[in-house]
Amino acid sequence: MIPVEHYVALSALLFTIGGVGFLVRRNVIVALMSIEVMLNAVNVALVAFNRLPTHNNAHTGQVFSFFIIAVAAASVAVGLAIVLSLFRIRRTVRSDEADLLKN
Amino acid sequence: MKPFLDLFSQNDFSLIAVVLLMPLLGAFVNGVFGRRLGKQAVRMMALSAVGVSFAAAIATFVALNSAIDATHAAHGEAAHSKLAWLAWEWMRVSGPNGSKIAIDLRFSVDALSGVMMLVVTGVGFLIHVYASEYMIADKGYWRFFCYLNLFIFSMLVLILGDSLPVLFVGWEGVGLCSYLLIGFWYGKLPNAAAGKKAFIANRIGDFGLIVAMFLLVVYCGALDWDGIQRHANDLVATSDRPGPINLWPIGGGKFEDYVIAGIRVPLHNLQPDKPWTITAATAVGLMLFLGATGKSAQIPLYVWLPDAMAGPTPVSALIHAATMVTAGIYLICRLSFVFVLSPAAMIVVAFTGAATALLAATIAVVQNDIKKVLAYSTVSQLGFMVLGVGVGAFTAGFFHVFTHAFFKACLFLGAGSVIHAMHARIHDEARSQDMRNMGGMKKYMPLTYGTFLASTLCIIGFPGTSGFFSKDEILARVLIETPTGVKLANAAAPWQWPSWAPWVLWMMGVAAATLTAFYMMRLVFQTFWGDFRGWTIGRPSQVAKSEHESDHGHAEDEDAEDGDHEHHDDLSQPGPPPHESPRPMTIPLLILAAAAIVAGIFNPAAIKLVVSTFSFLPLEHWLDPVFKDAARGITMAEHHTAHTRELISTFGAFTAFAAGSGLAYWVYVKEKGKPAREMMLKVPRLYRLALEKWRVDEAYDKTVVAGVDALADTAASVDQGIIDFILARLTALIVAATGTILRVFQNGVVHVYAAVMVVGVLALGWFFVQPHADFTVVEQNGDYTLQAGPGPGYEFRWYPDATKDPQTKDFSVADNLKVHVADGKSQTVKLEVKNAFGRVGSKAFTITRPATPTSAAGAVQIREQ
Repeated sequence: MIPVEHYVALSALLFTIGGVGFLVRRNVIVALMSIEVMLNAVNVALVAFNRLPTHNNAHTGQVFSFFIIAVAAASVAVGLAIVLSLFRIRRTVRSDEADLLKN
Repeated sequence: MKPFLDLFSQNDFSLIAVVLLMPLLGAFVNGVFGRRLGKQAVRMMALSAVGVSFAAAIATFVALNSAIDATHAAHGEAAHSKLAWLAWEWMRVSGPNGSKIAIDLRFSVDALSGVMMLVVTGVGFLIHVYASEYMIADKGYWRFFCYLNLFIFSMLVLILGDSLPVLFVGWEGVGLCSYLLIGFWYGKLPNAAAGKKAFIANRIGDFGLIVAMFLLVVYCGALDWDGIQRHANDLVATSDRPGPINLWPIGGGKFEDYVIAGIRVPLHNLQPDKPWTITAATAVGLMLFLGATGKSAQIPLYVWLPDAMAGPTPVSALIHAATMVTAGIYLICRLSFVFVLSPAAMIVVAFTGAATALLAATIAVVQNDIKKVLAYSTVSQLGFMVLGVGVGAFTAGFFHVFTHAFFKACLFLGAGSVIHAMHARIHDEARSQDMRNMGGMKKYMPLTYGTFLASTLCIIGFPGTSGFFSKDEILARVLIETPTGVKLANAAAPWQWPSWAPWVLWMMGVAAATLTAFYMMRLVFQTFWGDFRGWTIGRPSQVAKSEHESDHGHAEDEDAEDGDHEHHDDLSQPGPPPHESPRPMTIPLLILAAAAIVAGIFNPAAIKLVVSTFSFLPLEHWLDPVFKDAARGITMAEHHTAHTRELISTFGAFTAFAAGSGLAYWVYVKEKGKPAREMMLKVPRLYRLALEKWRVDEAYDKTVVAGVDALADTAASVDQGIIDFILARLTALIVAATGTILRVFQNGVVHVYAAVMVVGVLALGWFFVQPHADFTVVEQNGDYTLQAGPGPGYEFRWYPDATKDPQTKDFSVADNLKVHVADGKSQTVKLEVKNAFGRVGSKAFTITRPATPTSAAGAVQIREQ
């Protein structure tokens, strides 16, 4: 059986990739994808911790990750809608050109 | 009627609601729907509302009469009884000593308010009838009747209210209606200004009334009539808290001398050494009287009433002659048992009344405007009433209220009828009211002349008329009755009037009565006798024009917003000769004149002079129970002296009537006004001064009004300089500058926001990873309790003394520690905290207990602090 530390390490790696991707990429679509990666990193961690023997087979982690998946789907829908409107206004999907809120 | 009246019990007499609410309904309907209803419907609504109210008032009066008869039969003597109706419980306020004072919206009718109620609804109905014709050409017809009905309602609330707060509601209501009706033609500046003046003068009086209410709550713990009457003696009692009132002229108690750089500033000279001490009864009496001076137009607040004649003439008749202005006298009668406790307040009341009567009469003598003469005559007559109640003759004063309501209403309506006729001819507001343009009107308007003459005979006290019985009764009572206050075991002896006071008051009264006879007969002679002087104003009109008579000039003043008047064919041409007014205007005149003539039979006290066994005095017997409590503070001259003085007084009053009217006849009929013109030329400055009303208004302008204006200017400059500039603009500037700086950070780039968020999350994470050792210290008698602050997975290790070993070797969840520190010692305590990550933090704290003073003196000192 794979020890839980491996899962946590994977989760941390995924979260870092997502975070860095969100911070450095300028494409809004990619930024959204990075957010998804981070959310999935959290899911991995939740499911992994749920396997700890102290947990007595309660499926809290699994249930929680389902919620996160559902919320993530909803947020992506909203996010893509925002991207679409941004594109209509600015003809671009680059986030550094979306400075409508400046000053 | 008896089966009907049996429906109502004495303590739940809901018929009062009909009396009260019908005018309110009329005001509501006319005010909300009146514009669309049309004039006939408005007229119908207004008249039926007041008419039904009058009918219900009569029924109430009958019921009251039988209730009084019933108590009379039960007790063997006339007792105070009343019919009451509780509308709803209004409020409960806390009084002195934790008591609760119930202020209910309760209305009651007793002998005093019953008479007043009949006068208000009855005379009010007649004036409504008159006004429904008089105002027919006015565009604001519905508005006028809305206000007029609202006035009747407010006046009834004032009269029927069973406590001071309810009376005050009515008091303010009539003030509002008076304001609205004086400024009815608000498009004209003088009218609007007159309305405002009336309102402000009344506000000053209202201040007095409110202060009186506060004092009554403190001293009597009650505001309803029965409660005040029960506890009235507390107003003068010295044994009881809160006792008499100390007044410092400048306020704030005795001043100490102020020493600055070795120089003594003698501030103590500003204040007398001792305060003026007055009883609460005097204070309440004077404050109530201040309210009465405002409403009843006495010195110093009378100035609003003459200006109030800017309103439509029926308003002058109803509000500013017959009903509202007598509210002050009603208030004094109602609380007579408070006034008699203080002869000092009574002498102020009496002298103010006499001075007002005399001053107003001197002004009325020289006025040329017919309504101005009547206005000053009203002020003068109100002065008589106040004089009457001031000497303790409450019945006589109230009787004059009663008779005055008839004859003065009739005089005003008659004057309105004359102006109406004049206006049809002259088309000019000021000149159609000027007596110099009138004359010979008796030929053109015989009905108006007859009623006007009858009322004039009443007001000047022609023997046998109502004025003869009421005004001369007041003069007689001035000599006979003196308020001496009430001697109570637990109160200081009341201050007594000087013996000359009644005679001075009487002479002032007789002088005023003489002037009254003179100026009223002058008014009649100038207006109705001789030849019509209006011819000189323009050509007599063509015969063809007289066809228009029926629809000529029904509004002496046009509504400001009224552009086209049907009757003004050509304003530059004078109209037809004066004509008699239509029937709805003359019938009220006839009824009022008849009532004025015969009203004297209700209290023909003067007949007592001739027949000493004469006892037909219905009003006096009727009101006797109301004023029984007040009678204990009034001393009557003994029978023989009283008889003599009454003869003297009646002789004086008759002389006043004869001399005044005879002089007027000589001057204005025999000599055609020549002596008057000669006098005018002989003392032009005195004449001008009297014509300009002794320049009282100007004096007020220079002093009070200018002072208030200066205060307002100061306030305005403070507002502009400090509030607007420093507070508003400077604050805005600071906020704007801060905003400019903060705006730089708002660069709109999502990545920067994300990066800042990451930094923030990291900082928060760092904060939670670090352990935070912290605790609060609570001390009690040297025992100190240290309570550690909570945190995620925290475990604690305490060192009661930082230099020694910890309390327990391992970390535990015990999050508090108790240590005892002796007097004057100090101790260092240390706490170590281990969090979930195994990191350890610590905090040390030195507790120092101050030394307690041990000596006995020190302990005592501490207790005293």
